[in-house]
Amino acid sequence: MSTDTSTPWKAGHLPGVDPAAVHWQALRFDAHGRSVTVEVPVLAPQQMEALARHVRDAARRVLQPMPVDAVIDILDRAVARLLHPQEPLRQELDALLPVVTGYDAEMVRLGLTAYLQTFRAPQLHRFVTQDFANPKVLDGFQPALKGGAVRAFGPRLLAHVWAGNVPGLPLWSLACGLLVKAGNIGKLPSAEPVFASVFARLLAQEHPPLADALAIVWWKGGAPGPSEALYRQAGTVLAYGGNAALREVREQVPVTTRFLGYGHKLGVALVGRAALDMRRGPAAARSAALDLARFEQQGCYSPHLLYVERGGALAPRAFAGHLAAELAGLAHRHPRRDLALEESAAVAAWRQQVEWREGGELLGDERSSWAVAYSETPLPPAASPGQRCVQVCAVDALDDVVPLLEPHADFLQTVGLATTPEELYRLGELLGQAGVTRIAPLGAMTQPEPGWHHDGRFNLADLVRMVEIEHGAERAADRLAPYAQEDRP
Amino acid sequence: MNDAWPTGMQQAVDRLLAFVAQDGCTDAEFDALARELFALQYEHDEPYRRFCQRRGITPRRVNGWKDIPPVPISAFKDATLSCVAPEACERIFMTSGTTRGDVKGRNHHPTIAVWDQSMQRNFERRFMRATPRMQMLTLFPDEQELRNSSLARYLSLATRSFGTEGSRACVSTTGGLDIDGVCRTLEAAVAAGEPVAVLGASFSFVHLLDDLARRGLRFALPDGSRLLDTGGYKGQARELPLDEFYDGLAQAFGVPRERCINMYGMTELSSQFYDDGNARVPSVKSGPHWIRTRVLDPLTGREMPPGQRGVLSHCDLANFNSATAILTEDVGVAVDGGFLLLGRAEGAEAKGCSLAVQEFLEAARA
Repeated sequence: MSTDTSTPWKAGHLPGVDPAAVHWQALRFDAHGRSVTVEVPVLAPQQMEALARHVRDAARRVLQPMPVDAVIDILDRAVARLLHPQEPLRQELDALLPVVTGYDAEMVRLGLTAYLQTFRAPQLHRFVTQDFANPKVLDGFQPALKGGAVRAFGPRLLAHVWAGNVPGLPLWSLACGLLVKAGNIGKLPSAEPVFASVFARLLAQEHPPLADALAIVWWKGGAPGPSEALYRQAGTVLAYGGNAALREVREQVPVTTRFLGYGHKLGVALVGRAALDMRRGPAAARSAALDLARFEQQGCYSPHLLYVERGGALAPRAFAGHLAAELAGLAHRHPRRDLALEESAAVAAWRQQVEWREGGELLGDERSSWAVAYSETPLPPAASPGQRCVQVCAVDALDDVVPLLEPHADFLQTVGLATTPEELYRLGELLGQAGVTRIAPLGAMTQPEPGWHHDGRFNLADLVRMVEIEHGAERAADRLAPYAQEDRP
Repeated sequence: MNDAWPTGMQQAVDRLLAFVAQDGCTDAEFDALARELFALQYEHDEPYRRFCQRRGITPRRVNGWKDIPPVPISAFKDATLSCVAPEACERIFMTSGTTRGDVKGRNHHPTIAVWDQSMQRNFERRFMRATPRMQMLTLFPDEQELRNSSLARYLSLATRSFGTEGSRACVSTTGGLDIDGVCRTLEAAVAAGEPVAVLGASFSFVHLLDDLARRGLRFALPDGSRLLDTGGYKGQARELPLDEFYDGLAQAFGVPRERCINMYGMTELSSQFYDDGNARVPSVKSGPHWIRTRVLDPLTGREMPPGQRGVLSHCDLANFNSATAILTEDVGVAVDGGFLLLGRAEGAEAKGCSLAVQEFLEAARA
């Protein structure tokens, strides 16, 4: 039994808007025997337009004159506070996120801490340097190699449409938006409206003028009114979601506005025979099990299939057994969240398909909160329903996986790879050609490094507009200087 | 009757025909026939036997219909569930194959007599009620055109058994909907004051409503006229909320919503469910005495408490050859007098950037 003991938790962040004039929609969440009602703000189109103007003007006033190092400093201080277990806002997150997402509380706590560590100052500097050889282009004109000077401007207003699969996800694009000094308005995901709201509050506390340069809102997915009002004002629209959701957003974005869509992806892991001796094999299975359990495979980087090479001391079928045992252990340490009926039906349908397939073997019965399907023949990649359900296939050589992946290039992103250094680079070449954009070690598939190229793109460079002063313009200006000497070129 | 039939099947069919013909049954009678048919399928339906064995279920362990392991409908695609070799079957009905591309579910009928009798007995009671025959228009191709469609068989059999002269199919696979023909027939029925029945797939009604609206046409069909729609219209060009759909029907045909009957059936079964009109939606669905329904947790197979959503599982004794007990992908809830059908369990919508199974399938097919 769950009881709602608390008053509704207010999400969102609306500088310059009277909260009493806004419609608040209640979203109810139940998990772990607790329930929380979160109220999210739904703005009328005119209110959204006013908010967009407010945020854009504040960003120009507050954020754009600030050196990028100062922005990094504010973000670093905010993240440092969230990393502190005694910080009240962190405690609020630790209390709310497990109820809102249904994920195991300890898994959320550990995952969030590991994630936040990638947003400290050194990592943020690396993040900026990754995209801009000279980060000062974000602050003013810098000499260009070809001559003249260049300067990077972020959009005056950046609109974010966030997804709620992994808690904390909005921090990626929000940090990017702030680093390029854009005004930011983010649309909360219905599935996790908490993190972004808390982070906005934290930034406002850390540097009060910043409070006006970002806003957090909500609307019902597909509702055209407020979203279109926002997209009309935005310089760039950035969205996460499935292809159907992205299509919907893209159709609303004016054709002259930059649209950046991050679609659904499918991760796989490749375990080479070098990792399959009696000592390393079980360790590899443990790492893979962690990749599967973290956020119940809901991340774009999460694995859905494992290809295991024959010829090691540990045969692929035995590896599947180790993996099953590790998942069984994790089920105790970090229990799977309760499944909604539709999620149960999806898991059941997946299990049935394995069961009725010729040569399909299923480890873990209906009562297990995980499942390993095993096949002696390699199967093409297919999405599992998540919730710790994974297909393990034996392959004669890891190279055999490449042609299986190639037809699905649009859906590829992360490959977890366990193999020798030479093979890492040789296979990396082949996998990259096939469409893969990130090769990670087993056990870290869900934790991309700072500065990674999300879906093979440039996180910051994709957001900015480069402005150049040509070398010729510089020379022409020289000729017009009051000190110019007519007879010298 | 047939050399290709295993021993015991003819007796089972005879018992079944008599069972369907009787008025109602006791729980014990239902369980007894369910046990007998399970034993038959366990013995002669190889993939089903393996499915049961993996669950440790044998005929000895089955006391009543609830003990029979329900076959997921996806298995009708992956395996040949039949006690009789497919080539010895009188009819094979196939699903339209919308969920997994070109893979179609197949239900084998060694004799169509049981399916026919099940349909007729139930249709007579739930749709015809006291009327012996009436004029029928069907919005679906005739069974001569779609030999493997159970819905085509259903509507053709309805027309043949309960339709008056002039009853016919107004949709063909080549010509589509004969809208002029429909209008002429309905006008004539109005002029003659003779009740008429229009039966068809729900999405055909949606198209018909659009066509009539475009022509600015409305009918006030004579008293006793009725409509039957089936199949839902998910994934079609236009999706209507149920209330809007039945309001639209009532307005376009002048048939009150109490006389708009929805039939719920599937290729993987040999019997159908009906409601008693759609004055209120979702309506309560129920079946005849030879079919029973439970609401289950799809993953554990445990029965859900009344009032809680789950996946529908039916035990249809008329499905004597493939599997009497099946597990659907339809979400429902048990209520007094039957169950509410709440839609399909489409799999959870992915909440973020992990790939949804359905989306992947669609992309893989494109």
